[in-house]
Amino acid sequence: MTFSNRTLRIAAVALRIALGAVFVYAALVKLRLPWQLFAGAIADYKILPDWAVNPLARTLPWAELAIGLLIAAGWWLRTAATAASLLLAMFVALMVRAYAKGMEISCGCFGPGELISWRTLLRDGTLLAASLAVTWTAFARSKKGTDSISRARKWGLSPFCK
Amino acid sequence: MKLIAAALAALLPCLAAGPEMDKGKTLGNPRAPVLIEIYSDFLCPACKAFHENTLPLLMKDFVTSGKVCIVSREFPLNITGHQHSREAAGIATAAARIGMYDAVANALFRTQESWEVSGKAWETAAAVLTADQQKKVQALAKDPAVLKEVQDDVAYGTAIGIGQTPTLFLSRGSTRYPVFGSALSYNLLKSMINDLLK
Repeated sequence: MTFSNRTLRIAAVALRIALGAVFVYAALVKLRLPWQLFAGAIADYKILPDWAVNPLARTLPWAELAIGLLIAAGWWLRTAATAASLLLAMFVALMVRAYAKGMEISCGCFGPGELISWRTLLRDGTLLAASLAVTWTAFARSKKGTDSISRARKWGLSPFCK
Repeated sequence: MKLIAAALAALLPCLAAGPEMDKGKTLGNPRAPVLIEIYSDFLCPACKAFHENTLPLLMKDFVTSGKVCIVSREFPLNITGHQHSREAAGIATAAARIGMYDAVANALFRTQESWEVSGKAWETAAAVLTADQQKKVQALAKDPAVLKEVQDDVAYGTAIGIGQTPTLFLSRGSTRYPVFGSALSYNLLKSMINDLLK
């Protein structure tokens, strides 16, 4: 994939902003609610010991918020997109495990009450694919140069006043 | 759709006022700072577990001290194996009109496995009522107002996306949080109530 095509570049930016917005939304829904609800959702997966559940429930939404804002703004994009991909890969893996085991639990993705189903798996799988694409473009872009001069040249603009 | 409803209920807790409170299904002081509404199905095993294990703890820690008021709501699930749930909800609601909701609810949950198969919800309830109470409850169970009360609970629960039981709503003033399913351990539930009481 090259970034010579303007449409592709715009699509990449749109995908990045959409992914960031989804992370911000997921974080805000959780932060708006008592942390105990998210802790309950995490505990239901029966992966973590009790002592780890509450600290994670209190901090993960803030991490999601930071990642979402960084991705949407395009700051520290390689780090933020990699973190988003790792998080989503972990979420999807845990959801697949719970679904395969027949556990009727809330996915905990966007607040309480949404049971894990093929729909939630499909949605989070799509988000993971989007996140991997954003991560890949972030690294591809930085190989080509991320400084303002390179970016301006890629857009066919001269960074200098003539 | 469920996700949208759940997200709306989560993001706009103030908008989600429930149906009118049935005094016969209320435990504790109705003026308590925190209100817990429990949507349950008499044939749901998780509801039985909540009723028998968590409810007594809530009573001991919060209701007797006047900090929390609990209201029972009916949400008979329309799924296989729950054919008698609505009938049981109607009987319990009728029993509430004569102050016998707790006794009937206890009996229905305690013997859930047996009347689930036999369908003898009425016989189960009747066992804890006197002959006079039985007559009253039988008549009330057919009362349109009682049937409407059950239907109102179901309609409201469906509208806000309840898909599993028990589902709790914890409120303080205009702040209202849904707790779907039996996800919350008692320690987390206790912590959440304590935060609401602050």
